[in-house]
Amino acid sequence: MSRITIPIGPQHPALKEPLSLKLVAEGERIVESALRIGYAHRGLERIFQNRNYVQNVHVVERVCGICSHVHTTAYCQGVEALLGLEVPPRALYLRTLLCELERIHSHLLWLGVLAEHIGFTTIFMYAWRDREIVLDIMEELSGGRVAHAVNVIGGVRIDIDPEYAHSILARFDDLERQIEVFLGVILHERTFQVRTHGIGRLTAEQVRRYCVVGPVARASGIDVDMRRDAPYAAYDQLDFRVIVAHEGDVWARTMVRTMESVESLQMCRQLLHAMPEGPLAVRAPRRVPPGEVVSRCEAPRGELVYYIRSDGSDRPARVKVRTPTLPALAALSEQLQDINIADVPTVLAGVDLCIACADR
Amino acid sequence: MNVDLVLEALHEHFPTDPLEPRIVPVDETIVTLTPENVRPAVQMLIERFDLRHLSAITGIDTGDEIELLYHFWDGQGLTLRTSLPRENSHTVTLIDLIPGAAFYEREVSEMLHVLFDGHPTPDRFLLPDDWEGEPPLRRGVPLACQTDNLENGELSDQRHSRFKGEARP
Repeated sequence: MSRITIPIGPQHPALKEPLSLKLVAEGERIVESALRIGYAHRGLERIFQNRNYVQNVHVVERVCGICSHVHTTAYCQGVEALLGLEVPPRALYLRTLLCELERIHSHLLWLGVLAEHIGFTTIFMYAWRDREIVLDIMEELSGGRVAHAVNVIGGVRIDIDPEYAHSILARFDDLERQIEVFLGVILHERTFQVRTHGIGRLTAEQVRRYCVVGPVARASGIDVDMRRDAPYAAYDQLDFRVIVAHEGDVWARTMVRTMESVESLQMCRQLLHAMPEGPLAVRAPRRVPPGEVVSRCEAPRGELVYYIRSDGSDRPARVKVRTPTLPALAALSEQLQDINIADVPTVLAGVDLCIACADR
Repeated sequence: MNVDLVLEALHEHFPTDPLEPRIVPVDETIVTLTPENVRPAVQMLIERFDLRHLSAITGIDTGDEIELLYHFWDGQGLTLRTSLPRENSHTVTLIDLIPGAAFYEREVSEMLHVLFDGHPTPDRFLLPDDWEGEPPLRRGVPLACQTDNLENGELSDQRHSRFKGEARP
C-alpha cells in the first residue's frame, strides 16, 4: 500500500497550541510519526537569569497558562529553601488550596477538550461550564482567573475569611454533583467508551522507559504522586488517595483525572476546615546566599521540577524548568504507532499536552 | 531508594571519582563523577537499584566549564553532576539506557552546544529553523534585545528583519 505523509500543524484546527506532527499513513493506519516543538519557545530560562528573584516570580507564572500557580509554588519554595525561610502554616494552606483548585480547573478543562475531540460536545459544554465555578472562586480569591499572582517569596499575598470559606464550600457541593455526572458518562456512555477504550495505550514499562509522569503514568499503573511521595506545602497534613488505573489508555486517563478532581475537592474542604491562624508571609531578603536547590511539585500534569542555582547576588545564576509535558511528548510516537488516523486527536488530547510549558 | 546504599555502590565502582556527596534542599543528593563514568554509573544504578526515572538534565555554563546535572528520582532525589570543557564539549548519550533522555539531551545540546555522541536525531528542537546565533544559554551570548542598536535611541534594522522572517544577522 502506498504511503502518504500528513503534516499536522504547527497551526491546525485540531490543535490548541502550536505543534508540528508529521504522520506517515498506510491507508488509515499510522506507521510513522515525527514531532517538532519549539513554536512557543520564549527563551524563558535565559530571561530568568536577567531578572531578580522577585521579578522572576511573575515570569515563572507565565511559563504555563493553565497551571500557573504550581509553577510559582515550585519556584518560591525553592528560593525559600535557599534562603532558609520558614513559611507560615496559613500561607502553606492557602498555597495548597490554590494548587488543588487549579488541578480541578485543569482536569475539567482537559475533560472538555477530550470530549470535543471525540465529538461529544455536550460533555465539552458541561465541563467548561462547571469549570467556571472553580475559576470564579480563584478569581474572587486572587483577582485573576488564570494568572493568580498568589505566591510571593516567603508566603502568599491573599487571605480568606471564614464567611467566604463557607460560600466556597457551598459551591463545592454543586461541583461535586456535576463531576459525579461526568463519572457516570465515562463509565456508562457508549459513545465515550468506543472512542477511548484501548486508544493511545501505554504500558507501565513504556511509561518507565520514557520517564512519563502524572496522570498518564498513574493511568498505566505507576503509583507515583509527588504530593504523597515528597510532600511539600501543606500536603503532609492532608488525607487523600492517589488514583491509579491499569488499562493505560485514554479511558483510564479520563477516569484518573476525573476521580482526582473529586479527591482534590475533598482536599480543598479539608484545607478550608483546618486553616490555621497566623501571618501570611515572612519578609524575604533580596539577595540569596550561594547554593542550589531541586524543587519538585505535582502539577496537574505530573511531576514539575525546578532547579535553581544562586551565586549570592539578587539574580539567579540558573533556573531550569522541566515541565511534565516534555516526557509525555517523548512517549507520543509510541502511542501514535499503528493507530487509525481518526484517533490521532484523541491520542493528542489524551496525554493533556501543554506545549507552552514544554517549549518555555 | 536508599541513598546510603547508592553512595556505597558508587564508591565501590568508581573509587577514583571525586563523588563529594552533598545534600541540597529539598531532599536531593548531588554526586560528582567524571564525564566518562556517568554512563557506567547510570547503567549500574539501573541494574542494581532499578533507578530509571530521569526527571531532567540541567546544563549550566559556569564560565570555566559546562556542568551537566542528571536529576534522578525514586522516593528522593539523586543528581549526578559532571563537568565538560567549554571547547568541543561532548559526552555519550544515555538514550539506549533511558529513551526518555532523548528530548532532554536535545535541549541541552541546542542551548549549550554540548554534543551527545550516539544521539540519532540531534536536529533542531526548540530554536527556530533559521536560528543562526550562538547557543543561547552559553555565557557571553548577547540577548536579541541587546544586539539592537538602542544606544543611539534608534531601533536597528535587525529587529525589524526578524519580524519579516529573514535570517538573523
